[in-house]
Amino acid sequence: MRAISLFLTFLRVGALNELQYRANLAIQLLESGISVFTGLVVLALVFSQVPALNGWSQPELLAVLGVYTLVGGVIGMLIQPNMERLITDVRQGTLDYILTKPDDSQVLVSVREIRIWRVVDVILGFVIIGVALVQLQGTLGPLDAVAFVVALLLGSAMVYCFWLLLTTAAFWIVRMDEIVELFMGLYASGRWPVTIYPDWLRFGLTFLVPVAFAVTIPAEALTGRLTPELLAGAAAFALALLLVTRWFWRVGLRRYAGASA
Amino acid sequence: MIASARSWVDIYLTEMRIAIQQQLQYRVANYFYMIGMIAEPVIYLVVWTTVAEQQGGAVGGLDSGELAAYYIVWTLVRNMNIVFTPFGWENRIREGTFSGELLRPMHPIHYDLGYFAGWKVVVILLWLPLAAVLSLLFHPTATITPLGVVTFAIAIWGAYLIRSLNQSSLGMVTFWTTRVGPVFDIYFTAELLLSGRLVPMSLMPDWVQQIAWLLPFQWTFGFPIEALVGGLSPEQLLGGLAMQALWIAIGAVVLRRMFSIAVRRYSAVGG
Amino acid sequence: MTTSSGVAPAVHVAGLRKTFEVPVRDAGLRAAAKSVVRRETREVAAVDGVSFDVPAGEVVGFLGPNGAGKTTTLKMLSGLLYPTSGEALVLGHVPSKRESAFLRRITMVMGNRNQLQWDLPALDSYELIRAIYRLPRDEFRRTRDELIELLDLGPLVTKPVRQLSLGERMKAETCGALLHRPAVLFLDEPTIGLDVTAQKRIRSFVAEYNARTGATVLLTSHYMADVQALCKRVIVIHHGRILYDGALAALGERFAATKTIEVTLGDGQAGGGRPDLSGYGEVIGYDPDEGRTRLRVPRADAPRVTTRLLQDLPIADLTIEDPPIEDVIEQVFTSEAPSDPSSEEPADARSRAPAG
Repeated sequence: MRAISLFLTFLRVGALNELQYRANLAIQLLESGISVFTGLVVLALVFSQVPALNGWSQPELLAVLGVYTLVGGVIGMLIQPNMERLITDVRQGTLDYILTKPDDSQVLVSVREIRIWRVVDVILGFVIIGVALVQLQGTLGPLDAVAFVVALLLGSAMVYCFWLLLTTAAFWIVRMDEIVELFMGLYASGRWPVTIYPDWLRFGLTFLVPVAFAVTIPAEALTGRLTPELLAGAAAFALALLLVTRWFWRVGLRRYAGASA
Repeated sequence: MIASARSWVDIYLTEMRIAIQQQLQYRVANYFYMIGMIAEPVIYLVVWTTVAEQQGGAVGGLDSGELAAYYIVWTLVRNMNIVFTPFGWENRIREGTFSGELLRPMHPIHYDLGYFAGWKVVVILLWLPLAAVLSLLFHPTATITPLGVVTFAIAIWGAYLIRSLNQSSLGMVTFWTTRVGPVFDIYFTAELLLSGRLVPMSLMPDWVQQIAWLLPFQWTFGFPIEALVGGLSPEQLLGGLAMQALWIAIGAVVLRRMFSIAVRRYSAVGG
Repeated sequence: MTTSSGVAPAVHVAGLRKTFEVPVRDAGLRAAAKSVVRRETREVAAVDGVSFDVPAGEVVGFLGPNGAGKTTTLKMLSGLLYPTSGEALVLGHVPSKRESAFLRRITMVMGNRNQLQWDLPALDSYELIRAIYRLPRDEFRRTRDELIELLDLGPLVTKPVRQLSLGERMKAETCGALLHRPAVLFLDEPTIGLDVTAQKRIRSFVAEYNARTGATVLLTSHYMADVQALCKRVIVIHHGRILYDGALAALGERFAATKTIEVTLGDGQAGGGRPDLSGYGEVIGYDPDEGRTRLRVPRADAPRVTTRLLQDLPIADLTIEDPPIEDVIEQVFTSEAPSDPSSEEPADARSRAPAG
């Protein structure tokens, strides 16, 4: 629980810091607006040709776009800034400051940074999901809602693991700036349900890069496609990934200590 | 005259050699970057192939093989479109390296052009195996003519030049304000939609295609792709190259003007 | 080279002035809101009417505290800044026109300048410089090898620049900045951040380069040792104006208000603990091993105090010196001229002008 209190402390400091720069809010609004606008343009183009894409109707794909935007906001707000900072620290050798602190190093490197204005994407994501649900005219039962939230949390945890695994590789490979590029490129595949991709790609987007878990599965919860078995499977996979990441982080640290000594 | 031409060739070749040496050191990072980038066209390709199949085989006049060809060539053209960005200019000014560049008896654009041209050589080498893998996965089909190949070979460098000039002009904005992000974002979004990067222009409504024809974007993206795999007529090929030439001329004039105003401002307020 | 009449000076500066607009804003929300509507600015002169000539081949040091206008002057002379008014000519060129023929004959070394490729050996970057400056290959190779030898770079130029220490990198940068054999060198803090050995190396190199090529050198430095080792002539700038322009040796004569007297007492007194000489002047130091006391006395009183000391005490040794040049300079800047109008500006306004 030390981890949570640390996280809250950093969250508060980060938020206070960024609240001083209100102009960044305007910029973020513009960026998020552009991103959603582009997503809507593509949807409009697709649905000007066909009534449904691979069994997903327009409002259902709108829900996917909403989840994509929401999770993208969470990544941009909490995960990406920490990982970018970690890459810089490893390269410049400034990670030592963290390692000399009496807290768990993995927790510390994961909660140091926050980009508070990315919360715009989170809110926008919820709004899009809301609009999609209204268009669907279906009823979202409390059980579905819970499944959705659980699936979101599991998905975010897996994205965090995936990213930390890649970042830890920075202990071996000096220049890792492109990793952000790599991840954001792959994450963009989440704009669509992974079921439309060919088998090999769907496998990759499920187990190698957890885009399926981060976006598609929560979206399936919203559109009544998610089975309890799938959710349980996601939970098991998330747990396994957390353990692997923990182990790999320790190996990386040993390598870092060895190299800088 | 000849001596001057020869020393320009010398400058560009030396810059390109340096870029190649440097970027080969970073082949792993370069590959990461390219793989990340390839996700984008693969997504578009899968979506539009799905649409085409649901519609009985074709969308916007392209069947799945032609769509595959379009988006595989897309990956190379996208790489040719990567140039020194406006954000790079922002860095130059913030970190004060621009002063050093002003002390050289050469316009900095030549440095950027030469360096990125060298990088392109590495990128094209790294791209070939990727293109092979993508072809095995997505089975592209296209009728390729010799004239199309020649036009393509010229047009990717024309695209590179146009985009370099335009991006540098855009970078000049950083001499006036430090909040340039929004300006760039709007520009890049317009480019994404109107260049043929998001979808082949034939999928766009007519009025969008007409606007796009008047803007530089599609001449740096959709045109080179279609020159190779779009089955364009000789008139269309030559016409496209002419449009590129026009935009190179406009880009050069605009950059020249913007740069001299920017330097005057820089020299007035201090670097 | 001679400075006889008829030979144009390498650098000619007359009434050179550079002002910057800085925003003026009072504290408080109201003032902040007001400044959004109408930004009030005021002019601050970083360089305020400077004139001097430097004959070809001379090495001149610029002295002055931060913000005095040293760097601004060098930037105007190298074409990076347009002067607000006044005249500057370097090798017959107007620097602000930034003609290619001009840029090929000068160089500016700045502490933060970085023209070497980080990931490649310096030799590769030198090739690029050769191409950019359009240097004939054999001439370039000769210059390069000569500079590498003079700077003692040796095998360092074949290692990627990122593996070099700061001092090594600065040497490699210096080499790169001189490959085109410039006739005028502007060195802005060329030794800043370097360790003592590296500083010495750069220093002796500049002297050697000047002797071999007859290049004109204008340099600024925080390290008095740089100036003392290289410059016979110094120009002292303060608040954008020239306070002194002349021989370094005469600077003490001109500005030192005090002299330092060092007294060592004879055997009879040395064992008796620390002697109290405060009646003769301000005691600024005592060395118990040697039994030596240092006194500061007003310049005019020095002969009288010396006589008294010799009369009153068993003196084993006595020397009279000008105070160290750093102290003199510091004295100049701290005591200088409230009559100088620009010094009445709030410190804050000055500090916002680009560092000079």
